[in-house]
Amino acid sequence: MINFERYLGIIRHMNWVITIAIGLLMMMGVFFIYSACYSSEELFVRSLYMKQITWIWVGFACYIFFAIYDYRKIGRLSWWVYAGVLFLLVFVLIAGTKVYGARRWLDFFGIRFQPSELAKIVTLIVLARIMSRPDVRLWEFRTIAFILVVVGVPFLLVLAEPDLGTAMIFVPVTFLMMFVAGVPMRFLMSFVGMGTAAVVFIIAAMFLPAILGMSEATQEKVMRYSGLRAHQRDRIMTFFQPDKDPLGAGWNKTQSEIAVGSGGMWGKGFKQGTQNILGFLPKSVAHTDFIYSVIAEEKGFFGSFSILLLFGTIIAAGMQTAIMARDRMGRLLVVAMISMIFCHVFINIAMTVGLMPITGVPLPLLSYGGTFMVVTMSALGIVQSVYVRCRPL
Amino acid sequence: MTLSDIFAREFTRIRVLLAMMIAALIFLCIFLWQLQVFNVRKYRGSVEKQSVRRVRLPGARGNILDRNGVALADNRPSYCIAVYIEELRQPGRWDKTIDKVEKVINELSEKLLLEKRITREDIRKHIKSRLYMPFLVWRDIDDAVMARWAESNAKFPGVDIYVEPVRVYPDGQLAAHLLGYVGKADPNQNEEEPYHFYMPEMSGKWGIEAVMNDTLAGVPGGRLICVDASGYKRRDKRLQAFEQGTKIGERLARSGNDVELTLDVGIQRLLEQSLTNATGAGVIMDPRNGDILAMTSSPGFDPNRISEGLSKHEWDELRTGEDNPMINRAISGIYPPGSIFKPVVVMAALENNKAGEGTFFHCPGYFQLGNVRFHCWSKEGHGSINLRKAIEQSCNAYFCQLGLSCGHELIYDMASNLGFGQKTGVDLGMEMTGLVPNESWKKKVMHDGWRKGDTCNFSIGQGALCVTPLQVAVFLSAIANGGNVYRPRIIKAKDDNGVLVRKMNWSKESLRILRNGMHDVIQSDTGTGKRARIPDVEMAGKTGTAEYGPKTARKKNAWMIVFAPFDKPRYAIVMVIEEGISGGVTIAPRIREIAQGVFTIEKSKTTALESKHAGAWSRGMDD
Repeated sequence: MINFERYLGIIRHMNWVITIAIGLLMMMGVFFIYSACYSSEELFVRSLYMKQITWIWVGFACYIFFAIYDYRKIGRLSWWVYAGVLFLLVFVLIAGTKVYGARRWLDFFGIRFQPSELAKIVTLIVLARIMSRPDVRLWEFRTIAFILVVVGVPFLLVLAEPDLGTAMIFVPVTFLMMFVAGVPMRFLMSFVGMGTAAVVFIIAAMFLPAILGMSEATQEKVMRYSGLRAHQRDRIMTFFQPDKDPLGAGWNKTQSEIAVGSGGMWGKGFKQGTQNILGFLPKSVAHTDFIYSVIAEEKGFFGSFSILLLFGTIIAAGMQTAIMARDRMGRLLVVAMISMIFCHVFINIAMTVGLMPITGVPLPLLSYGGTFMVVTMSALGIVQSVYVRCRPL
Repeated sequence: MTLSDIFAREFTRIRVLLAMMIAALIFLCIFLWQLQVFNVRKYRGSVEKQSVRRVRLPGARGNILDRNGVALADNRPSYCIAVYIEELRQPGRWDKTIDKVEKVINELSEKLLLEKRITREDIRKHIKSRLYMPFLVWRDIDDAVMARWAESNAKFPGVDIYVEPVRVYPDGQLAAHLLGYVGKADPNQNEEEPYHFYMPEMSGKWGIEAVMNDTLAGVPGGRLICVDASGYKRRDKRLQAFEQGTKIGERLARSGNDVELTLDVGIQRLLEQSLTNATGAGVIMDPRNGDILAMTSSPGFDPNRISEGLSKHEWDELRTGEDNPMINRAISGIYPPGSIFKPVVVMAALENNKAGEGTFFHCPGYFQLGNVRFHCWSKEGHGSINLRKAIEQSCNAYFCQLGLSCGHELIYDMASNLGFGQKTGVDLGMEMTGLVPNESWKKKVMHDGWRKGDTCNFSIGQGALCVTPLQVAVFLSAIANGGNVYRPRIIKAKDDNGVLVRKMNWSKESLRILRNGMHDVIQSDTGTGKRARIPDVEMAGKTGTAEYGPKTARKKNAWMIVFAPFDKPRYAIVMVIEEGISGGVTIAPRIREIAQGVFTIEKSKTTALESKHAGAWSRGMDD
């Protein structure tokens, strides 16, 4: 009884701006998942919006749970959970369900979920815990190396699935956390340098051999050394040369761009997105990674801007929480969660409009998907947990 | 102050991070603005390009009518069994859909008792290039198949009847050489906005169908079809979005106009009947204005067979057959005219005062020129005869002498002025010019000078001279109408005046002499064309029998020209039959039948007209 009242008090003290923004985004998500799927031949696909509503309830449950749960206690459990997630990541490589050539899914009594999504949030919690320890020596190379190992193991396991999109999220979020935590500039700068070098190397490995006139076989070999898989290479290739193979690898990029661009100021109207209904925007991804194209096509700039505004609100309110947080652990946790959401939003929208190569990154709160919904809502729940504990309850 | 100093405080770092994030979102906003608002046209264009297919719809082809409005060429609906592949669509690979379509076609084949002629490759081809169009499996099915289809159509979703227009010629062979035929049009790909699909369109390939194609064809319309990413046609109309940015819809085709001919079906039928079982040609012209009332060439062909589709073998047979059925002998056949040319000689001599009504020449049965003998058909000879008698008797000896005294230049001029050796300019393709020889021609082609023998041959319509039956009709009309050389008309004109090519300014006297001679040819009991005589109407004419080919073969073309009635001519009839006996024997009886028929038709028309005036009260019921 006492507990219940206390919980209600916590809920009452949550940041309602964030909650309302979340609610609006989720509502739009359901509507446009319906719009993206209603013209499908399969009943299963047509009723996906109903499933999304279920996931929203589950998501809100996680949201409330983590808001109530004291974030300071999460840290204590995090290493155990981290170990568990690593085990799942290894397990999915062995026993995962294959979808589109990648082992990303685990079936648990009929419920499918992606350990890689879980790995993101858990690893970030562990990072926040490491960097917020009072005795942490962030200026020492040892510490930095330790952090890199903690991130690196799940990163490589996710990359092996392969799930480039999810793996790539680790990189910027870790970097941003380190920045906020106060890792010295020399380390950060060298990371930037290494990152740039890696990108240059990949691009060089892809384009130079052809420019230098190497044979197909040699090109293939160089490519293998670069560590990229064929479909990943195609996507990057497509990004630079979208017209080279418009019906194959370039299809999604081109069609998504056309969908967004043809939306105009006010869009073609709800359920009227021709790109989606006529199947130019592939039906398999329209309601997941490309939900933003559907919205942008049907609601135009008005719709796409509204969504950016709502995400902006969540991000700004979240960062405000980071400033207000009572301790370093809370601050870093919020920065980690908000950075994660921001990176998803930015990468997803940027790829939708053709600014970045196509990688399988969903749009938080809008894309169809259970695991990611749970992860996003948990992350936002943690933000609320920090928020409600800024002042004494 | 270094970067590290600025970022020394944690709060500053958090604020910088937030600012960067907001900046990134603003950047996305700007990018979206320029993509969605600035470049919206470009992307709407791409949407239209990939999801809209333009289909060209030809207009209904106009009919070809005779002068009284009877249809000579018409369209009829042809019923096809069409498969709408979008309704049989199978998920997964294309092969699955092809399997399904093939299965449906096999079942249809069993149910409708139609032989399956579609291969898997045909289906694949259709899917690849024109998936959004119905797939026509069987064309032009008959009533029995239609009945079987009506019984079982409920069992075949995605299959329906599709109606296609097919050109028909209700009277079969009638006037086939004039009407021509239609074939599949080659769509003009150079249009401003090329269509994705061109509905099969008929285009005239020969005859009136070809000459008047622009009038008959009308103005094509277009239809926009919305297709999905796989190329299937979208049948639902939920996509109102297209109405804003792009225009989904239809622009109706304008039907072609009818073409009215000067032909009279009744007269045409008479002419064709009289030429059945013969090889030759006939023309009946209204001498008052040059309207072609009937024109035929025998043997004929049935253009319906061509519009239904011929095999290559049948086609070759038709085109290169022994009798050349696809040649319109009335305009493309060139024949030596023989004695029917004699009126030209008469007019040349009379108009230049080289002879008169009382000019006598002697005929001993031949005409001796040096060591060459020109035979007259009468072996015992005509004795000493005048011009009128010479025309009546078609005396070769007389005309050799008349020609020599007149001179070949004057005959050449007369023939040229009457339109020989030139195209008449009728609105039909493939017209031949024929040949009127003169000195320069002989020098150029035969490398020889003009001799008196040439003049003799020329005077009796032999030698190098050759003409088309239509040219003869023009010349005959000029005699009948008093010297007006008209351009023959096949397309009915608004006025009745005719297109005058030349006015001959013949004297009444010359015309009277010639006409009297021609009158006797038919009306005199000794006339060469007396077999053409009919009881009620006086006619005038001339027979001819022209030899051609090597002398030993003794091949003869039989000719006859007739105008009627004698005092006020309304009909100029020309007929030629290859390998006939003689004009008087082979053709005169046919002309008699035609003349009888023509005047019967004329009579019935006048009576019909009179009764129509008399019974004007009953018109309401007829309408």
